[in-house]
Amino acid sequence: MTDLQDARDVRTEGLQVATRHPVPKGEPILELRALQKKYGTVEALKPASLTFLSGEIHAIVGENGAGKSTLIKLLTGVIKRTSGEIFWCGKPVQLGTPHEAIERGINAVHQEVVLCAHLSVAANMFLGDEINRNGVMRKRAMTDAAQRVLDDLGFNLPAGAVLGSLTIGQQQLVATARAAMRGTQFLIFDEPTAYLTRQESAQLFRLIRRLQAEGVTIVYISHRMEEVFELADRVSVLRDGTHVGTRKIGETNEAELIALMINRTIEQIYHKEHFPAGAVIVETRNLSGPGFKDVSLTVRAGEIVGLYGLIGAGRSEFALGLYGRHRPTAGEIYWQGRKVDIASERVAMDLGIALAPESRRDQGLCLNLPIGLNINLPVFNRLTRGLTINGQQERENADRQIRDLKIKTPSRRVLASAMSGGNQQKIVIGKWLSHGAKLFIFDEPTVGVDVGTKAEIYRLFARLLEKGAGIILISSYLPEVYELSDRLHVFRRGQLVASHDYRAASHEEVLTQAIGV
Amino acid sequence: MSAETVESGAGAAPRKGVSILFGLTLLGLLLFLWLLLGFATNSFWTPNNISNLLRQGAMTAILAVGQTFVIITAGIDLSVGAVVGFTSVIVAWLLAAGVPLWAAILLTLAFGVLIGAFHAFGIVRMGLPPFIITLATLTSLRGIGLLITNGSTISITNEAFTNFSRADFLGVPSLFWMVIVVAVPAYIFLHLSRFGRYLFAVGSNSEAARLSGVNVHRTIYLAYILSSTCAAFVGLLLASRIGIGNATQAEGWELQAIASSVIGGTSLFGAVGSVHGPLLGAFILATINNGANLLNVNSFWQRIITGALIIVIVYFDQLRRRSAR
Repeated sequence: MTDLQDARDVRTEGLQVATRHPVPKGEPILELRALQKKYGTVEALKPASLTFLSGEIHAIVGENGAGKSTLIKLLTGVIKRTSGEIFWCGKPVQLGTPHEAIERGINAVHQEVVLCAHLSVAANMFLGDEINRNGVMRKRAMTDAAQRVLDDLGFNLPAGAVLGSLTIGQQQLVATARAAMRGTQFLIFDEPTAYLTRQESAQLFRLIRRLQAEGVTIVYISHRMEEVFELADRVSVLRDGTHVGTRKIGETNEAELIALMINRTIEQIYHKEHFPAGAVIVETRNLSGPGFKDVSLTVRAGEIVGLYGLIGAGRSEFALGLYGRHRPTAGEIYWQGRKVDIASERVAMDLGIALAPESRRDQGLCLNLPIGLNINLPVFNRLTRGLTINGQQERENADRQIRDLKIKTPSRRVLASAMSGGNQQKIVIGKWLSHGAKLFIFDEPTVGVDVGTKAEIYRLFARLLEKGAGIILISSYLPEVYELSDRLHVFRRGQLVASHDYRAASHEEVLTQAIGV
Repeated sequence: MSAETVESGAGAAPRKGVSILFGLTLLGLLLFLWLLLGFATNSFWTPNNISNLLRQGAMTAILAVGQTFVIITAGIDLSVGAVVGFTSVIVAWLLAAGVPLWAAILLTLAFGVLIGAFHAFGIVRMGLPPFIITLATLTSLRGIGLLITNGSTISITNEAFTNFSRADFLGVPSLFWMVIVVAVPAYIFLHLSRFGRYLFAVGSNSEAARLSGVNVHRTIYLAYILSSTCAAFVGLLLASRIGIGNATQAEGWELQAIASSVIGGTSLFGAVGSVHGPLLGAFILATINNGANLLNVNSFWQRIITGALIIVIVYFDQLRRRSAR
């Protein structure tokens, strides 16, 4: 603990402003009064009044699109509020710029690490606030100070290593250590454990408790209920941009929080229809490739095959292998009983495989191009007559998908980047509906998608199954794969480790197999 | 009401509308310059000067169209000026060796195809950045051209060939007709065919394009081959105009082509561009040079004005795009 303070002392005094105005534990440190954020005419955050008490761990839960990230951006000065007031230590403040938030001692650790991958761990920890003597950086002093902090926190990380050589989880710990050194009074964690192993999570939790003991107020954003109940003192729930309640952790339970979060029962969301399983569409035998090994599974017409596992367990890699993006190194693929060699994406598409990939942003969409072009991209060869594209068919096809999928856009000419997560996912799906396929692979189809659109997507699954298609559903969200899959396969470290029929195993059993304790 | 409509509510202007509007503003700027020069000088609106202006702009315009294909894929082709000089040498050399005119032209264009294919090979197979591979050929091609000519020039004695650039057709210089010969198929290719759509898709997100079944490698080959072939075509026109083959000709034309393309609304980040934009851009640049000559503006000032104008036009374009979002 003293080393952490030492490291702070090594640094200039400027950032210590916040610590000079301590608020006694349990008193309000940050108060939001009717805080509101509008984009155009749409309220991303409806007037919310929330109080954070000094030294507490305050969890915020809510579905994707509930307004959590809007709230964080408002508190860290990334965006400006439309109306309402913010009181910091009892005084009204602007929080108009990220700089002001940091000056006051408000910091955030994001889910995705926003540091410089090419610099050393120490350089990152001191980034923007280096130790200087006469204008020359004192690299050794910084490395030593950073190492002391890391050791003190029990992280077992080398301060001199290049950040990019660490795992995502380790980088997350570095980001946290960095925030911890900065005279932070108020630290926001945005789903920090999404990419962490259990060990790393445990280290992070220890650090959070320690920061709390030092008087730092923690806001912990997560949708993992078990973490909320393990860590938090109080929990606030957001739903569709509304703050629907705050509870003391001892006075609530998981069922109540979920009811507040989604305002409907699990059965209403996970729309499941059972169809008689038809002929085998695809079968893999001992398929291996980059990131997956020895995977044997079958998909029949009319069934959903779920692939569950932690991030990096090889599910997406398997999907990309099946789709011809990465060529399998061993094993066989049988398509409707016939052995095939899927050498490229085009071959997969021509067989009748469609892939809605994991990342809409990196793999799914051409964001700065119109919605219409995105939807038609796989089928331009079919829309071509002679040398040119049939403009009328092109327009009709795009408009049909926009109408059928209820994509909320004034026109097919709007850029895909202007759409919300849910609508972007619909564009990706629309692309493959217009192409048509026998086997649809949906990789994390509901990440960043609001509850209403989720339900629409699940209904769409049923429509596809009804028409005789088969679906591979990849998800890191257990309830989703659990409730929807006719057969559920569990992946761990690139291998298929267990398989269950519809609801045959318990959540705990599946989770244990995925983690491999 | 969830976050669902957050961004779509903010509204993005239909893209095609913006493109046409921008095209019209550029056309307006060009006409404005012409009117202005018409008032400011006596000699601007003479048939002789207009023909001259159309000839001056024609070659940059063709280069700019080819360059635009490459820039739309988020690449860059720095070699086009060198390709022009190199191919002027090739055609002069072939004609001097007694190759028939038609064969010399086809062979020269074939060199353009080969150079473009080499660029794409470097990018796709060797993983070199477009900037680097085309910078390398920029240097080497000038060197090869100088080796062939031994540092001097090759004169072209074929009169049919050299008369072409001086000829008119329907009162319009034949060089300007060549712009139309290139622009019409280019427009069909970029705006009406699926390959045009693929160029945009690759420039926007090549992984998404690939997973949608677009042959990304083939698309990149196509873009660079088209750019180099346009440059080889300009090499033919230049050789015809000056009557010699010389590897040091067309110095800095690649920058003219890139500037024309960017003035015409092409984004260096890829996925934004058109065929009509760079054409207008090229003739705006040609008009400025032409006008400055007529007004007896010091040629050093011409360069400064051109540079300033690029900043102003592209800045306003950025503003327009931002406000359209």
